[in-house]
Amino acid sequence: MRTGVIGLILPSTFSFLEMMWRICPALAVGCTVVALVPPASPTPLLLAQLAGELGPFPGIINVISGPASLGPVLASQPGVQKVAFCGALEEGRALRRALAGEGAELGLALGAEALLLLSDAADVDSAVEGVVDAAWSDRSPGGLRLLVQESVWEEAMRRLQARMGRLRCGRGLDGAVDMGARGAAARDLAQRYVREAQSQGAQVFQAGDVPLDSPFYPPTLVSDLPPASPCAQAEVPWPVVVASPFRTAKEALALANGTPRGGSASVWSERLGQALELGYGLRVGTVWINSHGLRDPAVPTGGCKESGSSWHGGPDGLYEYLRPSGTPARLSYLSKNLNYDSFGLVVPSALPAGPETGPTPAPPYGLFVGGRFQAPGARSSRPIQDAFGNLHGYVAEGGAKDIRGAVEAAHQAASSWAGQSPGARRALLWALAAALERRESALASRLERQGVELKAAKAEVELSVRRLRAWGAQAQAQGQTLQLGVLAIVCPDEWPLLAFVSLLAPALAHGNTVVMVPSGACPLLALEVCQDMATLFPAGLVNVVTGDRDHLTRCLALHQDIQALWYFGSAQGSQFVEWASAGNLKPVWVSRGLPRAWEQEAEGAGPELGLRAARTKALWLPMGD
Amino acid sequence: YKFYNRGISKYLSWISKIQVNHPAVLRRAEQIQARRPVKKEWQAAWLLKAVTFIDLTTLSGDDTSSNIQRLCYKAKYPIREDLLKALNMHDKGITTAAVCVYPARVCDAVKALKAVGCNIPVASVATGFPAGQTHLKTRLEEIRLAVEDGATEIDVVINRTLVLTGQWEALYGEIRQFRKACGEAHLKTILATGELGSLTNVYKASMIAMMAGSDFIKTSTGKETVNATFPVAIVMLRAIRDFFWKTGNKIGFKPAGGIRSAKDSLAWLSLVKEELGDEWLKPELFRIGASTLLSDIERQIYHHVTGRYAAYHDLPMS
Repeated sequence: MRTGVIGLILPSTFSFLEMMWRICPALAVGCTVVALVPPASPTPLLLAQLAGELGPFPGIINVISGPASLGPVLASQPGVQKVAFCGALEEGRALRRALAGEGAELGLALGAEALLLLSDAADVDSAVEGVVDAAWSDRSPGGLRLLVQESVWEEAMRRLQARMGRLRCGRGLDGAVDMGARGAAARDLAQRYVREAQSQGAQVFQAGDVPLDSPFYPPTLVSDLPPASPCAQAEVPWPVVVASPFRTAKEALALANGTPRGGSASVWSERLGQALELGYGLRVGTVWINSHGLRDPAVPTGGCKESGSSWHGGPDGLYEYLRPSGTPARLSYLSKNLNYDSFGLVVPSALPAGPETGPTPAPPYGLFVGGRFQAPGARSSRPIQDAFGNLHGYVAEGGAKDIRGAVEAAHQAASSWAGQSPGARRALLWALAAALERRESALASRLERQGVELKAAKAEVELSVRRLRAWGAQAQAQGQTLQLGVLAIVCPDEWPLLAFVSLLAPALAHGNTVVMVPSGACPLLALEVCQDMATLFPAGLVNVVTGDRDHLTRCLALHQDIQALWYFGSAQGSQFVEWASAGNLKPVWVSRGLPRAWEQEAEGAGPELGLRAARTKALWLPMGD
Repeated sequence: YKFYNRGISKYLSWISKIQVNHPAVLRRAEQIQARRPVKKEWQAAWLLKAVTFIDLTTLSGDDTSSNIQRLCYKAKYPIREDLLKALNMHDKGITTAAVCVYPARVCDAVKALKAVGCNIPVASVATGFPAGQTHLKTRLEEIRLAVEDGATEIDVVINRTLVLTGQWEALYGEIRQFRKACGEAHLKTILATGELGSLTNVYKASMIAMMAGSDFIKTSTGKETVNATFPVAIVMLRAIRDFFWKTGNKIGFKPAGGIRSAKDSLAWLSLVKEELGDEWLKPELFRIGASTLLSDIERQIYHHVTGRYAAYHDLPMS
């Protein structure tokens, strides 16, 4: 079902086409749009004029022309269900922090830098044309990082410089001109970047037929920039190209993936196998092979890592403006006095109220990390009570170090799990389902101790088994999907078995490895399942860490190397997770403190789970000889 | 032309690593045609410049001395006198660059040009034009006979069989023999790009032709199904530039076949200016092989001068 009112915040660098590409899908699914556009550019006023001409449906597009500071104001309006922000990285981060707890969905599309990878098997002249398209034309969104294989470095530089000499800059509406200007602010940014690069030891080459007055800036090629310098880490502004050499394809991938940005990239190589390998290995949203900048409204365009995770175009672009039927409208659950610095920082120490009596309990469970049970770093455990007040068991007290170890283990298992065929994934999930079936009586008795009636307990176990099988079948049916990476999941307190399995299954089915914090009320059920996973699953595929939920949530939310976080806990925790995700801009899914009907198909096993567990990547390969 | 290219020894490694990506070249070709339009008095100037690049061509089975004579007269006076006077260009000696005919008609052409008092060169096609599928001995003899008759430029066709079977050394050897047979005459090597199969082959053939001593490389005979197109030209121009960077020798470029409108000719001039620069925009390094192009250019100039569109009978036939 459609989302409702969309608040769209657009930057000044957008062309009319790009603005329409974000507004039209929203309108197509039935949402209405309020667009906030910067005041200095004339393009949005055309938009406003068009909006005014929509006689029968006044108000479906509204355009506000104002400074960027109005962004958070627009976003915090109670009627706005979703905010889509396109623009600079730091503003996106600030918006993410400001919107924590507001209850609105946030989609971010940040940064404009692209990457071009030139291998020695490429048509160098055509790749040089690709660089011109990518960085020195009016269609280019931003600057370019150019990686050139060392054996063709001299050739490539010579051709680039000769080509730059033929570029003509001038007023954009003059048809015989290659690139125009983007305003004084863009010019100043480019100038500052180039000066800093020079001071850090880079060589700068500028050429082209450029008018001398502001705001025109000549096409610029920066080379010999030391990789460790601050300029090499910062985003490259338009119209600058920063060139660096690489030796082998492996090194190229490491260099290319070694930035926090993950927007778009092109690979130039006439060897098909090499081109596809590089294309698949790059962590970006769009890869063009032997071309650059191709776009089509039916193909999803987006990014990953710090380029934001919102999409436009294709079915993914439509899903941005839809939400599952029955989801409640936005409800702000903001807690104004939540202290982000101290939330979950210190684990409240719990001294036992009195001497513990009862039958000798089983030895405490460890943390399930790296395929086996291990002792926690803090070497302490916490007692778990059952519904009748008796001691049910002890579980480990995990802390920051354990989270770190769990995430590392998950990363180690990630590449081999992602490479598994869909059939292998199905087989593993079905094996776990069979193991749970065999363990039914033990699981049911534990559930009974938590106060669940025997019949309901058996039903819960059966439903969990069915869900595992269903997700396994779906994994095979839909073939290869692109995984997010390491997914961190904080399970809800209620439904300790069913919710755990319902969240685990889609994450694994889509090729992710997981770090899970099970239900706080009864983590023992999850740990029972871990006993089976220890024998069936490869090490590190699933990691379960028990302990103080707020503290563990804090560690996960602040971790820079987790690709997504699902949180089903308190409202305060949800707010903290949203706020902390601004660190590496990981996509988050929070429950806002509201309960979820895990036993129902729609909420417990619906398509939303599958959509949130995977991402998209577009690969373009023009054919012809 | 006192200087002619003597050829240098072959370096096959230059061409073995080359890759040409077809879709990317197509995109670049579209881009060039869309940008750099020329208008108003600059357009008139460019059109006059284009006239000086034309190799006025007649290659038909029914050529006789009468139409050759008409052609040579048109070569000396390509634009009507009063139009040139209106542009103040009547005393600049604007003629076409050369006249191009079959070997049997070379004597007629030389005689006609002498009668008109014009010293532009006569170019002759040779080596089994247009298919080139005759014995090497007769092909070489054709060149010698044409040179004897007075042709100072020879347009030869390469052996496409050798290209399609990858026999680059044999191709080099043949073109060297053509070079020797030409003697002092200028050698233009026609690559017949429409029959070469891929842009990579076009690049390799261009390089071999230049290494073996051609003064010009030419896109096509004009008789193939696909003649001079922008993608092929881009590849050949890149080959010329690479050859210049490697050896310092400037080799000329000639597109031929399918260039009929004045607008096309301007696009070709823009292409050469973009890819190679202004030094290549002179008749020693750039020619356009065309026959009906001249009348279209004349009509455009007529329109520029008078503001009216000419009828077919307003302008002299060529």
